[in-house]
Amino acid sequence: MEILKKLKILADSAKYDVSCSSSGSKRTNQPGGLGNSASSGICHTWTADGRCISLLKILQSNNCVYNCSYCVNRVSNDLPRATLTPDELCELTINFYRRNYIEGLFLSTAIYSSPDHTMEMLLQTVKKLREEHNFHGYIHLKAIPGADNLLIEAAGKYVDRMSVNIELPSERGLRLLAPQKKREAIIKPMTFLTSNIAARKAERRKSRKAPSFVPAGQTTQLIVGATPDPDLQILKLSENMYKRFGLKRVYYSAYVPVSHHPHLPDISSPPLLREHRIYQADWLLRFYGFQADELLNEKNPNFTEDYDPKTDWALRNLDYFPVEINRADYEKLLRVPGIGVKSARKILTARRMHSLDFDDLKRIGITMKRAQYFITCKGKYSGQTAMEEHLLRPRLTLSPPKTAGPEQPSLFSFSSDVIAPEDAFSSVTGEI
Amino acid sequence: MLDFVYDGSFNGLLTAIYEIYYRRQVPQQLLSSPGQTPKLFVREERIITDETKAGKVYEAIDTKISSRSLRHIYYAYLSEHMEAGIWIYHYLHLGWKLGNKLDLLLSDERVHRIHRLSQKVSMERHRLLGLLRFQLLRGNIYYAALEPDHNVVELLAPHFAARMAGQNWVIHDVSRDLAAVFNRKEWVATDFTLQHRLELLKEEEYYQQLWQEYYNSMAISSRINPRLQKRCMPQRYWKHLVELS
Repeated sequence: MEILKKLKILADSAKYDVSCSSSGSKRTNQPGGLGNSASSGICHTWTADGRCISLLKILQSNNCVYNCSYCVNRVSNDLPRATLTPDELCELTINFYRRNYIEGLFLSTAIYSSPDHTMEMLLQTVKKLREEHNFHGYIHLKAIPGADNLLIEAAGKYVDRMSVNIELPSERGLRLLAPQKKREAIIKPMTFLTSNIAARKAERRKSRKAPSFVPAGQTTQLIVGATPDPDLQILKLSENMYKRFGLKRVYYSAYVPVSHHPHLPDISSPPLLREHRIYQADWLLRFYGFQADELLNEKNPNFTEDYDPKTDWALRNLDYFPVEINRADYEKLLRVPGIGVKSARKILTARRMHSLDFDDLKRIGITMKRAQYFITCKGKYSGQTAMEEHLLRPRLTLSPPKTAGPEQPSLFSFSSDVIAPEDAFSSVTGEI
Repeated sequence: MLDFVYDGSFNGLLTAIYEIYYRRQVPQQLLSSPGQTPKLFVREERIITDETKAGKVYEAIDTKISSRSLRHIYYAYLSEHMEAGIWIYHYLHLGWKLGNKLDLLLSDERVHRIHRLSQKVSMERHRLLGLLRFQLLRGNIYYAALEPDHNVVELLAPHFAARMAGQNWVIHDVSRDLAAVFNRKEWVATDFTLQHRLELLKEEEYYQQLWQEYYNSMAISSRINPRLQKRCMPQRYWKHLVELS
């Protein structure tokens, strides 16, 4: 089969993995070599769905022995199949990289024979890239559950980031939709990576010559909406991943209906708004000092459509407010709806010179649309209404969801145009 | 009223700022080229670039204010905004008083507008680090064309000199007739126009086709969102993108 055809088939199969970032690694170029990595990460283009392409995201093979019902590549799906050899993959990566199409390679694969054999093929590809082609761009590699730890360790020396996808947030979901996969088999390589990354980091602190091991850390992905698991469970799982496994990122992928199955929800479009709310909450966990328990609880296990998670939290905790802009510390400022990481930093900087009033805030570029109801400047409040929940709620609702159309949209089946582009953008930059 | 006109170079701008203090005359504008239409009540005075004078101002900014402010000034200058020159003067004038605290005074318009220009330039540089596309030409040269809003070629070159260290490349700003040229050792900025049409190698056409095919297969059809796409990647950059032309 010619490369063009293989590329199309294997890209098509890889696109549902949402991880794209190329950040967190500072690999430098070597004499006679090609490439380096920018620690901030660089996006190279955006596809028609508005997602960025940073890495050449592709499968080594989409021939799979598994039959997970949520996945396009399941063995029972009638789909053209292809496999790229390590050499073909190297040629593609190098030539795309030289033209500045990509930041590096994100290599994943279906399990086309034993996990060990599959992992070995991946290892061979990344080894070739680094050693034969002297390539120093970014590499993100999938670790195959069930593969020997030695293989995973060997691959970890060559790559910048590794990931194992959990996909389904609960054991029950796994039993229903992917009966051939076991939860322990997924967790095992993650635990292995966590401890090795930590050990190698400690060595690197003593000697800069110690070899690096997955310097940009590990990530995972969860599918949202393929199982009945509530947002609370998903968020709790992520919190756990960040705290116990030291993960760099958890990615969320709104379930794209790729097949019909009695155990799968019957939806016509992916639950994008729900995915978006979970991303917002994820940012609150990582950068804003929130706990999953504060955002959701057993009584309210799902996020609302009308408010972003931070505004929702603020409305339920009005005794925390108003926050005095000139005195509150960084953590407290971050809790104000409408003030993100950048704005909070700007406030801290600007108030070193003089105390700030509302005009100053506007001048330094703080948007007051939501913040005005939750702050005071030099003791003054400008919300133009009493700080009571029933008065604030209507003022803070986002534009009402559109209900026109042939079908009544249910909670989890929003069409993409319900999310304003600003909102969808913030799921990339994470500012709330 | 009075306008100063300098030669468009950064040293020219710094010389003009030196002259303001030396002559004790604050002009209305600091222009990088003479005004298009003669103005009735404005006198234009040409400033001759002087390396020594410029060097003094450069040193003063670095030691008396901060290297961060110096960077903001350079980026604001590269923005090529009509009023960048005089804004830089007002920013510096405040800077002599505040020293290294200058960049903390975010609520002051004189600081804020320089930061805004600098931010725009820095943002465009970052964007183009990803959006630049090289094409392999006969003679083994990788050529990239771009038409940026701001004069960022010099800011892009060091990144690609480190990354594509084993390739000969040219990054060509088509709208300004400027280029950064790299010979696998060092890069230089130079005036540049294309003499004849580009001749693409067969190999180049092949990889462009592969990339287009890949790009098109990556979009998930049930999530199509062109507004988001255009927001992330403004359409004015599409012209030079292999995947969208």
